[in-house]
Amino acid sequence: MKGSLTKTVILLVGMYVFLKFILPLFTAPLPASLIFLYLALTLASAMIFYTMSGGSLDEFMGPIGRFLTGTGQTGIAGTARILVFVLFPLLVGWQTYTRLAPSDVPPAENRTIHPAPPGEFVGLSNPYERTQNNVMMGKGLYAAFCSPCHGANFDGKGPAAVGFNPPPANFSDPGTIAQLQESYLFWRIKKGGVGLPVEAMPWKSAMPRWEVELPDEWIWKIIMGEYDGAGQSPRTWEEEE
Amino acid sequence: MGYQKIFSVALGLIFTVTGAGAPCVFASDPPPEDGGGSVAVRLHLTDGPVPSGDPNAAVWDTIQPAEFKLAPQVHWPDRIQEVTVKSVKVRGMHNGQDLAMLLEYADPSEDAADAAAIEFMVGDKMAHFAHGQEMLQVEGGPVNIWYWKKEDGKGTDMSAKGFKTIRAQDNQNVSATGAWQEGTWRVVFSRPLQTGDDHDVQVTPGEWRNVAFAFWDGEIVDGAVKEQGSQKAVSSWWYFRAEPPPDNSIYGYVVLGIALAAGFEFFLLRRIRRGNE
Repeated sequence: MKGSLTKTVILLVGMYVFLKFILPLFTAPLPASLIFLYLALTLASAMIFYTMSGGSLDEFMGPIGRFLTGTGQTGIAGTARILVFVLFPLLVGWQTYTRLAPSDVPPAENRTIHPAPPGEFVGLSNPYERTQNNVMMGKGLYAAFCSPCHGANFDGKGPAAVGFNPPPANFSDPGTIAQLQESYLFWRIKKGGVGLPVEAMPWKSAMPRWEVELPDEWIWKIIMGEYDGAGQSPRTWEEEE
Repeated sequence: MGYQKIFSVALGLIFTVTGAGAPCVFASDPPPEDGGGSVAVRLHLTDGPVPSGDPNAAVWDTIQPAEFKLAPQVHWPDRIQEVTVKSVKVRGMHNGQDLAMLLEYADPSEDAADAAAIEFMVGDKMAHFAHGQEMLQVEGGPVNIWYWKKEDGKGTDMSAKGFKTIRAQDNQNVSATGAWQEGTWRVVFSRPLQTGDDHDVQVTPGEWRNVAFAFWDGEIVDGAVKEQGSQKAVSSWWYFRAEPPPDNSIYGYVVLGIALAAGFEFFLLRRIRRGNE
């Protein structure tokens, strides 16, 4: 049983075990679609290899042909062949049904969480010095205007947060404000949800357009208070270089 | 439609032959982040009349509700930090002509100023959930709001595109009835699926549309109504869809798919056998 078909099957099983169970020990688990793509590439490579000569092609396809035609089959192999012939059309029928059956799942939404800010906000720096007083003032303003949604603990879990979709940002998460520059926060606070571009679904965000209620000075100080309270630092140009 | 279905049969065949159906077998991608609660309301298709005007009709209890959490309105002034209505259960029905939606929510007291509203986007343009207010980088559309207030005793069909633009429409198509019992409001809104009015949401069975909700607790506290105007409980945009009529032609295409696959097997076998000879 050392035919090329057997080798290919062993290769595919080995590849699957490696991608599915061994690789995640060292890195993030691969999505199923990517595992499938890698297995398809492996199979395609094997097919190319075995179709390079007539001999190797016969060796590869021989067992498949013998199985399908039922040559010399008895017992379990014969039953398996009948099962394959019955199950294959049923599988096609199932695929057709799942593609056509009405779905109760709403359209998928691909929301860009951190879209690019308009040009005039890029590269702005906080004009206020990071003094104890400024940070304290920022935290006070944060408590008054931002904490109902973003939470007194800067974790996005304020009393008003529960009903909103998308939920308010969790500033203590290293994936939010720690990844952004102060100028980005200035844009988001000033223009609010309605200032977002189309890919960020501005029609869903409950973030107020604070420029109509708060002076810029307060917004810059709120940003200071947010970073300090959440224990994060803004991303800077120096770090990117 | 016929071509699309034949294409689906062909795809089913191709996917199966090439093994592209295998992701089903390997499906292990993490599920989407749990947002809690429902994401969509299904308007169940019924043969008979929809129970418009009857929030306590027995048929409502045969429908599994969608449930949406609500937040105090903090998006624009005047804000409110604490609201009475924390979540709403929504059930829906339609019969191809008319639709009815039942909103069920907890409110400890029955008050004249208690109110509920359902909001829809109108047409194809996306509208901001706060009364279709202006968006800075996207041209938004208007919203259609169905409003009910206990003391009015009826539904009002309204339009808005931006703050302070809300107004009752000239053409009123919405009816609404509320019933309060033991701390729970059940309010049923009804309307024809299609109205022919450009200011209204038009509901086509099978088509997904956006929907949002708002509630006011009209209790009198210290001589003033507790929640009114922009001080209310709100939801974000969610989805709803009027269930399409059953399409039995699907089964015909499934049979066609099975027959094609069996034919494929037959010709494959014949070819291999001829090759062997």
